[in-house]
Amino acid sequence: MSKKAGEQIPGRTDYKWIGKSIPRHEDARLLTGRGTFVDDLNIPNVHHAAILRSPHAHARISKVDLRRALNLKGVIGGITGADVLERTRPFSVVATSPMQYYCMATDKVRFVGEPVAAIVARDRYIAEDALDLIDVEYETLPAIVDPEKAVESDAPILHEEVPNNIACHRLLSYGDVDAAFDQADFVLRERLVFPRYTSMPLETFAIISSYDHFRGGLTLWSNFMGPFIMHPITARALKIAENNLRFIVPPDIGGSFGIKTSIYPYLTLLGLLSMQVDVPVKWIEDRREHLLASSVQTDRVSYREVAVTKTGVVLGFRTKLYDNVGAYLRTPEPATTFRPIGNVVGPYQVKNLQIDADIVVTNKCPTGPNRAYGCAHLYFEQERLMDKVAEKLKLDPAEVRLRNFIQPDEFPYTTPTGGIYDSGDYPKAFQLALKTFGYEAMRKQQKTARADGRLFGIGISTGVDPSVSNMGYLTVALDPEVRQHPDYLPKSGAAETATIKIDPLGQVTVGLSSTPQGQGHETIVAQIVAEELELSPEDVTVIDECDTAKNIWSISSGTYSSRFASVGTSAVANAAKTLREKIFRIAAHLLKVDVEDVVFEDRRFYARETPTQSIKLSHVAGTAHWNPNGLPEGMEVGLNVTETFSFPLAHAPDQKDRVNSSNTYGFMVDLMAVDIDPDTGQVKILKYASVHDAGTIIHPKILEGQIYGGAMHGIAGALFEQQLYDDEGQCLTATLVDYECPFSTEAPKIDIAHIESPSPFTPLGSKGAGESSSETAPACIANAVADALSPLGVNVTELPLTPNRCWELLQSARGQTT
Amino acid sequence: MKLQVEHVFQVSRDVLWQVLHDQTRMADWIPGCEKLEEIEPDRFAATMKIGVGAIKGTYKGTVQIAEKQEPSQYTLAVEGSAAPGFVRGKALMKLHVEDANVTRLVIDADAQVGGLIASVGQRFVSGIAKQLTRELLANIEQSLRSKPEATA
Repeated sequence: MSKKAGEQIPGRTDYKWIGKSIPRHEDARLLTGRGTFVDDLNIPNVHHAAILRSPHAHARISKVDLRRALNLKGVIGGITGADVLERTRPFSVVATSPMQYYCMATDKVRFVGEPVAAIVARDRYIAEDALDLIDVEYETLPAIVDPEKAVESDAPILHEEVPNNIACHRLLSYGDVDAAFDQADFVLRERLVFPRYTSMPLETFAIISSYDHFRGGLTLWSNFMGPFIMHPITARALKIAENNLRFIVPPDIGGSFGIKTSIYPYLTLLGLLSMQVDVPVKWIEDRREHLLASSVQTDRVSYREVAVTKTGVVLGFRTKLYDNVGAYLRTPEPATTFRPIGNVVGPYQVKNLQIDADIVVTNKCPTGPNRAYGCAHLYFEQERLMDKVAEKLKLDPAEVRLRNFIQPDEFPYTTPTGGIYDSGDYPKAFQLALKTFGYEAMRKQQKTARADGRLFGIGISTGVDPSVSNMGYLTVALDPEVRQHPDYLPKSGAAETATIKIDPLGQVTVGLSSTPQGQGHETIVAQIVAEELELSPEDVTVIDECDTAKNIWSISSGTYSSRFASVGTSAVANAAKTLREKIFRIAAHLLKVDVEDVVFEDRRFYARETPTQSIKLSHVAGTAHWNPNGLPEGMEVGLNVTETFSFPLAHAPDQKDRVNSSNTYGFMVDLMAVDIDPDTGQVKILKYASVHDAGTIIHPKILEGQIYGGAMHGIAGALFEQQLYDDEGQCLTATLVDYECPFSTEAPKIDIAHIESPSPFTPLGSKGAGESSSETAPACIANAVADALSPLGVNVTELPLTPNRCWELLQSARGQTT
Repeated sequence: MKLQVEHVFQVSRDVLWQVLHDQTRMADWIPGCEKLEEIEPDRFAATMKIGVGAIKGTYKGTVQIAEKQEPSQYTLAVEGSAAPGFVRGKALMKLHVEDANVTRLVIDADAQVGGLIASVGQRFVSGIAKQLTRELLANIEQSLRSKPEATA
């Protein structure tokens, strides 16, 4: 049942519920501690797993002996890499030089924290004690952690099948980049370093696995967030049929921010464990395991050069990237490199570009999605260079951006890389940001502050906010020739599914497969369904727990890539519209009038011309369920509608590697003023304004929450957090004492404003905004700090700007080495 | 992690060398050493009890003496692993003659830790290393004093 997009006119303003900040339906249970998370589930006879992890960054495993551990009272079984090698397949890896990636080390360990063995026992304490009794012998090997050094000819090799430690290399060219550089009045170059930081959800990975020996079926309860492509990947890894593998996701997940996409190696590991011991097995990842070995964002070294005219127009750019994905290239990596491919020019009219990407393996924890997936890296590079253009031309950085923006009359705008920007007005949003920030006044304040000797800086960053990944974008990681092979199945699309039913007494229930992690889907869906069915949101029950054996889902279902506000809401809106048509047709039939002459008010249908003639919603619903003979001829019994919204412009990449990598594209501008303490190097955010265009706003308060959350995630990465390793590959930040997260006390007040450019491609005109300022805040802080330090002649090329790093920059300006 | 310490002993270089290489007494001055058995010339199986903060463990491993240039210098390599992870270190031990009965011992060490100790005890590691070095020097002093016949 595919459905007509754009049926409703975007920009409609006569909504009763859409656009209102109604109280969140989830909050009462969450705030009173009565949510239902994986750890709250009671599975009979559940046993507990503990995982032995490598203390070495790189070593050959010469022996793993479980015998002493298995003899400990209370231990019922365990597995080693040998079991994994025998009973599972490696995960599929999308790359030009893929490696074998299993759920546990089988021959070598390649990062500290890599699973080496696992034990199941009566309780977690016994399982943990048993780990101490496992005898492992390692032959240590030299480790490498720096991506630029890893590609050198004398570097230690992690995987024999990955030459030079380059798992994937693509040289992508769009437009005529050489001509752009020939025409340029000048060229600017920078080497920029973007760090590893992570998502840090309150709830870590959590899995319960149960194997039914008689049916051969495996059930995995987990806080899995999608995409559901991980379901066939897990089935394949465990060598079981997809219809024998059931994922169940409880109603509540305690945050993810991207990281829980990477739970799937553990789904396989726990699946194998429960198949081995034949009882349900539970594993809740502890915080140290999470920090050491779950997943983290890819770190990058980039060399970017831009070709610019003397008026400040950017004609093109070239980028050489070293993306460090850690020990294994784990799907959906190398998406840090390719996720933003359609919006890689940001909001600017750049026509020519080249990306030379090396995706490098090193002895660090494997990487994965982290809010702002690839875009925080991208906008850090793009926006640092825009400031460099301004500096070179002695122009105001705001002016340089205005000279390069895509103009409002150009939408839908096709980027050179194949992105189709659906709607927007970048200059208008930018002007609103300048006004909200009080840009002129802040520049004056800066002058005074500088005269007083203060290190006061103003930063600007802009970005196009891509929502809903087209499943096909990742195949840009493959050579086009591979994609052309007759056996190759092209990948594209981005679908989401919703089911709405009306019960015999007229009550509405919506079922989703969106696996939210706190985004408030229950509330938003209730709003949309109430809007379409002319009910109140309290009348709508939304169930968003998921069981892959029972729910209807698509390969791309889940909550990631800011997708719900764009495709999830579209599926819900379309399903509600279809259901509305049906109940109106039944009512018209029962009232014996034309469907156009039926009006609905206060749960009752009326004949427009003769309002005394009316019928209750429960009567209409009851007819559909209990009296099929009373339905219009040919109508299906019952009131159940399932709709899948599939984005029509999500094609597979073409032969020139062009792809519309997202469904909808929002826009954001961040502006910040900072002050740096000259003695400690500490950066203080004095003022922060943020303007967003996410199309039609469904729930302003939830959107505001996303902007605050996104901004804090970006601020964390720009000023506080970093996963650090020493040269031998030992992780230095495996506790929350060493990995410094900001608290709410570090959160600045944000002056938020919006413009709304409804998307012509979604029924409600809405776009995603779940990542929002996490993409632009790091660049904004970098630019603000660079502006503050510019009188000292110091450049900012690397994050995070911790007090240490700022102090070192200050010392270098003072002519003192540290 | 690199560490350099030095200490002046009121004995001749030959005596210090002898004490440092006396297999029956090495276990006395290697901090936390509970057992030391020669498995081949200059290579020993060792059991060491070391605590880093709250993480205490009994480390099993080896102690190796190499690159000997008697009586002026040699290297001492220690490695051990236990449930909390591993410790690995190599020290260049130099014995300088200051006077007939005065010898300066200079230790240039490079140590690594891994596993639980590295990930939760990182900020204690350098403190612990310094403490172990102080213990080492004190133990050697003690060794020299408790066996006065060695100085004869």
